[in-house]
Amino acid sequence: MPGTDQQIVESCQKGDPAAFEELVRRYGSSVLGYLTRVCGNRDRAEDCFQETFGRVYQNLHRVRPEAFRAWLFRIATNTAIDGFRKQSRVKMTSLDQTAEGEGLSAAKDVIVDPVPGPVEVASQEEQVTAVRRAVASLPDGQRAALMLAYYQQMSYSQVAEVLGCSVGAVKTQMSRALATLAERLPNLE
Amino acid sequence: MKHLTDQSLIDYRFNLLEAELAAEVARHLAACDQCQKRSSQLAKRLEALDLLRDEPALTEELIGQTLASVRRPRSTTRFRVWWAAAAAVMLAATAVTVWLQWGANQRLASTGRVAVKKAEERLAASAIPAPFSQQQTTNNEQRITNNDSEPPPFAPASAIELVTLPRRESVQLTIYNSADLTLVRDRRSLTLRKGWNWLQFMWANTLIDPTSLDLEPQDHKDQIEVRQLVYPARLKDLGRWLIHSEVEGRVPFEITYFTSGISWRAFYMGTLSPDERTIRLEGYVRVTNNSGEDYENAQVRLIVGQIHLLDQIADLANRPYPYGRPVERMGEGGGVVNGDKKQRLAERLLWTLEGYKPDAYVALATKEIVKEGLSEYFLYTIEGTETIPNGWSKRLASLQADEVPTKNLYKYEEDCCDSPVVRFLSFKNDAEHKLGQTPIPEGQIQVYRTVDDSGRLYYVGGTGFKYIPIGQEVELELGEVRDVVVEPVLMDLRTENHQFDSPERDLSGWDTVQTFKVQVRNTRAIQVQVEIKRNLQTTYWDLTRTDTIGTYEQVDKDTVKFTLNAPAGSGQSFEYRLRTYHGTREQAWRK
Repeated sequence: MPGTDQQIVESCQKGDPAAFEELVRRYGSSVLGYLTRVCGNRDRAEDCFQETFGRVYQNLHRVRPEAFRAWLFRIATNTAIDGFRKQSRVKMTSLDQTAEGEGLSAAKDVIVDPVPGPVEVASQEEQVTAVRRAVASLPDGQRAALMLAYYQQMSYSQVAEVLGCSVGAVKTQMSRALATLAERLPNLE
Repeated sequence: MKHLTDQSLIDYRFNLLEAELAAEVARHLAACDQCQKRSSQLAKRLEALDLLRDEPALTEELIGQTLASVRRPRSTTRFRVWWAAAAAVMLAATAVTVWLQWGANQRLASTGRVAVKKAEERLAASAIPAPFSQQQTTNNEQRITNNDSEPPPFAPASAIELVTLPRRESVQLTIYNSADLTLVRDRRSLTLRKGWNWLQFMWANTLIDPTSLDLEPQDHKDQIEVRQLVYPARLKDLGRWLIHSEVEGRVPFEITYFTSGISWRAFYMGTLSPDERTIRLEGYVRVTNNSGEDYENAQVRLIVGQIHLLDQIADLANRPYPYGRPVERMGEGGGVVNGDKKQRLAERLLWTLEGYKPDAYVALATKEIVKEGLSEYFLYTIEGTETIPNGWSKRLASLQADEVPTKNLYKYEEDCCDSPVVRFLSFKNDAEHKLGQTPIPEGQIQVYRTVDDSGRLYYVGGTGFKYIPIGQEVELELGEVRDVVVEPVLMDLRTENHQFDSPERDLSGWDTVQTFKVQVRNTRAIQVQVEIKRNLQTTYWDLTRTDTIGTYEQVDKDTVKFTLNAPAGSGQSFEYRLRTYHGTREQAWRK
């Protein structure tokens, strides 16, 4: 369906079901990526994904079309954080996450060697697991700020809009998150 | 100069500083190499975040599920109200039914009613490892419905009909060390009703591979059918089997799955006789359970060897998604149905190779490790049963062989000066050496020597060795020694047979003739064999022995080996002359 995001949202608000599907397709990848990183678990991310778009569908009439993206990520963030409160945080850092393949596939994409051997793959997976563990160890707010600013490449003001706080607060969260990660991330050299 | 803090450097790099402060940091960085370097280091460290940058693929299926869920009519809410009412009715009905049908069995009925009210709490509680004695009754729960003539139920009605499973009757562990994988066969008797039955299995806080779950009745196989395994949406770490039964009552079932976290390692102790001509070998395996699950009275089997089949198992364990996803389809209950048959085939193949027999569960009084060959790999079965709680290790005897003939060998590589003499012990895994019945698993060995008749020992050395197939010789490197000394000395050096280019008269070829004297001293009280190897750095050479001490052989085109027996407390020497051909003289060597 052609059209700007704003037009799609407007169509959706008028009750066009195809428009909502287009919204899911346009924003689905980035929302799923965001949720996967925040949740640290593909399954949980998919659950949150469905719940996020469920909430979007129910509340779409309340959003200004031009503010849709920030609003969408705010819902995704709240959904993920609600999920954390229900789930044990220990599971967030579980090694089970590596069994879900994201680590491996991500590592494969990053590594230049097209055919890494078993040792390299294991090593890559370990690194991905270590990064995931380090990110998962951050407090929810810091992690959400990092995901939005670093991976979704939002400006700090956009992140502030999503998280419903001031730009200064976002910067503080980011600063703390990065300082923690600088200590906890694996050395790739 | 006061340097910038890591925090300042990070904040600057990520534009987190106020403009004035940022300018100040920029000025400092421009002038300070140390801070620049530190800034680069921090940036490099934070680059690791990019490992997670890859966006997961958004599947059509997820889009479809999402659209389907959001477009579900608002009657969902009303349905939930109806559902709650229905559940309440069913709760009462079930309680009455349970009471009437199991009237004699008050304990079971009350368990069911307690489960009715506490189902969710118990589900949550069972995710926490229970004390050892209670583990079997909390990790798995059975759900029963009674709709014989009805089509397969959409999903388990609710958590209201949960009753606890009977205790685990027996369990068998087959540990594949090289793949960090263990095949678990868990036997329990389930009480089935005629018609549809739900069985719920939970694996929270364990390392169980949910893709590998399988359930099979051991009796009434033609009357009981396990229809599907469902992973309910939003319920983590549990699966539910839908079972159709034409019989009522207790039926033995076998639940099989793979888990990681259980491993075993082999250790050996070798005790040399005083003359060091024989060694007594004692082997042990240490089984460690970090799988998250306690295994009580488990029959333990250990797999030695690496074959292509293990690779298949490893692939299985490393599948991208833990359950269902590769070929998932929506189940009738709204969850995901595991329709992957490949893994089931792999398991079947594995079990066939293992020659599995249910009768093997019979506990035996004596504990001994029995070995049997299976295709290209080897299976060790620990007779009887062992209890291995989570987090525990157990050491079990696996091998004992007395007076294994062994060769005491001291090796010297004459490649450079001051090379050490290295001690080796060698024996062969064959009948002649009182071994050879089984391959010997890879492991660590500690070697001792008996000093006197009272059995006092002293430590000789330790080393590791790889898997030793039957019939193969192994050399155990025990490290450098000082009590056997080899000293090669160059006694003479000259060049001969010079050749020159015409007319320039440049040297184009010559022979080098060296005479070496090799001194060997054995300060030990026993005779030892010494092996001296020398790489000649050229393939154009002739070697002439000037005495008959020891033997000499060519190992490859540029390596030779001298072997001699050095009696206790002896010193001896031998000489050899080495002629090497250079330049155009190489032609002469060919002739």
